[in-house]
Amino acid sequence: MNEEQRPGGLTALAVINFVFSGWGLLGLLGMVAVFAFIGQIPTDEMDETKRAQLEAFQNMGVSTLVMIVALSILSNILLLVSGIGYLKQKKIMGRMVGNAYAIFGIVSSIASGLMFGAEMGGGFNIGTMIGLIYPVVTLILLNTTFVDDFTN
Amino acid sequence: MAGKAATGHHIRLISSYWCRHAVRSGSGLVYLMIALVFGLTVAHILIMPVEQFMIQQKQKTGETDPEAITRMIVGVGRPIAQWVLGLKSMEEIAQQGMMQPPPMGAGTQARTELEDNGIYDPWTSFLLEDKPALLSAILLVLLFGMPFVISFLAFNQVSGDVQTRGLRYLLPRTERRSIFFGRFLGVALFSTLVMAFIVATIVLYLGMKLRIYPAGALMVWAVQGFLALAILMLPYIAVCSFVSASVDSPFLSLILAKLIIAGVLLIAMIGSLAWKPAEYLLYLLPWGWQNHLLHPAPGHWLGAGLACLAYTGVLLALGYVRFARRDL
Repeated sequence: MNEEQRPGGLTALAVINFVFSGWGLLGLLGMVAVFAFIGQIPTDEMDETKRAQLEAFQNMGVSTLVMIVALSILSNILLLVSGIGYLKQKKIMGRMVGNAYAIFGIVSSIASGLMFGAEMGGGFNIGTMIGLIYPVVTLILLNTTFVDDFTN
Repeated sequence: MAGKAATGHHIRLISSYWCRHAVRSGSGLVYLMIALVFGLTVAHILIMPVEQFMIQQKQKTGETDPEAITRMIVGVGRPIAQWVLGLKSMEEIAQQGMMQPPPMGAGTQARTELEDNGIYDPWTSFLLEDKPALLSAILLVLLFGMPFVISFLAFNQVSGDVQTRGLRYLLPRTERRSIFFGRFLGVALFSTLVMAFIVATIVLYLGMKLRIYPAGALMVWAVQGFLALAILMLPYIAVCSFVSASVDSPFLSLILAKLIIAGVLLIAMIGSLAWKPAEYLLYLLPWGWQNHLLHPAPGHWLGAGLACLAYTGVLLALGYVRFARRDL
């Protein structure tokens, strides 16, 4: 099947993947920058909630930070590779890697909700559900609407 | 009669096909993502401070007090709601200050006295005290924001097929009106399903996680809010139908639909700063009516609903006249 027969939805899915991958990369850089200076932020004039949030981040171990960064990089790579796979309608690079991203995204959203306390943005809240939207939509579409479109 | 039955059957067929294939074509997928992220982000932004307040309360007293939480929401939400509904200007709200609401369960006489003094009004009291306030706030923001989102779904009803000449293959099998109205109904059906999903998700979260409102009150208000959103989308979809039937390019159709929907609001708002009567431009589209869909008086919400249907009828008629006469 040539690329002319690629459905518009699959192209849209690829573009969304690239956009999310770019955002993810920027978020990662931002997070690293914040952690580099987190010890220098004065907490004297902060209210209790903000101070608790900041202290929770300050007390987070280096190993946890490394794990978060590694998982973010993995997620971004899966997004980027599957996006290219969608455009080329590749079975492995598109459908399989896309499914891998979706499952990884769902598991990591649930795991971060369970691992981190509410003061660190964890716990189950609507933010968790927003994080789940794209992986769930991807998982459903790759295995229903676009299941027959990966022909290369 | 046989012709009418065939048209009805074709419209049903085309609308259900459009609805099922909206995601595959791309526009449905983009709309689904934007609408879900927008709807749930609005809910998250409004619910998160309440959740933090509940956590603080639990840390201090060991338990949560739903009445105190509701009072806090009403106190913060009242001036914002009064401004959003156009009942008070920023200056009036600033003069009034952050008024504390009457104690929950205060008698109707106390409330009437406050209403007479101009501090409280029946509309905001209805939205914030009689109905679940958090859900009212979310619905108000969705009523304002969803018209901007709908064009991502509705912009390419016919313009793409006009550009590629694809409609020529369809026309020997059905009539132009079946295509035009069938696709309008398909968009409306898809949009309604997405709205239902968003409202149901938010209500389930409010009911099962926050637990500060009775389930029955939440359900009833959610159904009313969902109906308001579903009806409000119709005239904006009809704007897109009209634009899509008038131009050959889907991209141009999207840009024009966005310019018309947002432009009417912007020109009315900015124009009214220089010349007060310019605010009546809001009524070119339902912008001037739409908050009344959440009004306590049946005359208001019924009137607003009928106005939405009237706008839809006029815009669809204009679009169909253009579509019926143009070269495809």
